[in-house]
Amino acid sequence: MRFKVIFCQVFTREMESVISRSPHSIEVENVPMGLHDLGMEMHSHLQERIDKADADGYDAILLGYALCGRGTEGLRAGKTQLVLPRVHDCIGLLMGGHNTYQSYFEDHPGVYYRSPGWIEYQTAGRRLEPAFASQRNLLGERRTEEELVAQYGEENGKFLFEQFNAYRRHYSGLTYISTGVETNDASRNKAQAEATKEGWVFDEVMGTLSLLERLVNGEWDVASFLVVPPGATIRATLGDGIVDAV
Amino acid sequence: MAQSKELYDAILNGDAKKAYAATQAALEAGADPMQLIAESMVPAMEEVGNLFECEEYFVPELLLAGRAMKSAMELIKPLLAASGQKMAVRVIIGTVKGDLHDIGKNIVASMLEGSGFEVIDLGSDVAPEVFVAAVKERNPQVVCLSALLTVTMPAMKTTIEALNTAGVRTQVKVLIGGAPVTSQYAKEIGADGYSENASGAVSLVKNLLTLGAA
Repeated sequence: MRFKVIFCQVFTREMESVISRSPHSIEVENVPMGLHDLGMEMHSHLQERIDKADADGYDAILLGYALCGRGTEGLRAGKTQLVLPRVHDCIGLLMGGHNTYQSYFEDHPGVYYRSPGWIEYQTAGRRLEPAFASQRNLLGERRTEEELVAQYGEENGKFLFEQFNAYRRHYSGLTYISTGVETNDASRNKAQAEATKEGWVFDEVMGTLSLLERLVNGEWDVASFLVVPPGATIRATLGDGIVDAV
Repeated sequence: MAQSKELYDAILNGDAKKAYAATQAALEAGADPMQLIAESMVPAMEEVGNLFECEEYFVPELLLAGRAMKSAMELIKPLLAASGQKMAVRVIIGTVKGDLHDIGKNIVASMLEGSGFEVIDLGSDVAPEVFVAAVKERNPQVVCLSALLTVTMPAMKTTIEALNTAGVRTQVKVLIGGAPVTSQYAKEIGADGYSENASGAVSLVKNLLTLGAA
């Protein structure tokens, strides 16, 4: 079969790994990280890509995404069926499913998560420019202290920076999700260093490529994947299935 | 002369020091604290909300205006307490259990406070039983629940259920908000209202309480 996979950059290495072993012919579209910050607006960026791929007659368009704060809600299949993993976000996806994530989440409140992709594409030293114009004026949160001071003055700028970063003080731990694609310890070390710097408890969990693997292998069991038939739309249910198609 | 143009401007411009100084000057000149709130602070925060609605102001401006308003309140609150005056409406607010993202909640809290409501901020990651205890002890008219993650949204439902079980649900209006929250979800879980943003939350509280009294 011929698939198109549209996926978030955070899964780059994981996706390349599973695609290399898939029995199917797969064309990829890697979308820059950060769409989830746009909330509902994420939808239009993805719909545009889906509509473009729809004309090319694939057997399915696979979404390397999750519900992503409702960012994928409302995505509509054209002539081609869409497939979406039933998870809330990239953490659930890399942990292999919602239930695993949920039980970890309940046992570990106040934890920040990192994966190899998060470290590689969103470290402070390698900060990507916002990929989409609308993201630039939307988010004070992403600006550095210097930028905020330049715009709002010394006192107000510092206050804003503190406000936007105060949430970090509420966290007590950082969990690194290892996905097996790491070629060395660099990502883990960076995650550990971040935890040490913030005074957070460091934990590591072994993630799994299982969901991504089944996505690109065409093994879409109902419990783990939503298959959106042509003409239907993704809806968030937030219940056990997380999403359905209407 | 309760209306202080200096205080109004300082809040609008997000200048906390000027807001404090203007309040001090107005109080020294004999202004009534309650009138300062009603005639300078509330209109200023309303204008901040309007500017946000028409996208002239963004999140940073809301935070700065809220901070300026709070610096004025530092002087006013003790005077109100000393004179036994109370705000007409008391609101309890917090992010639900498991959710540590509180920027949105903080903005809503300061917009509500700037609109003349008494706000009790329970902070973030607030368990249902803590909301219940706060409702019992503080007797608010309104409870605001915030969540940023779809993973934590179900905690809004369990909080409302806990209020029900404790028998206090009918004495409060429950409002919900947060990036992934919708009015549909509010209906599903039996909340009284949903607002997309902080200035909408202010109107919502006003509308709900008017309707409730009618």
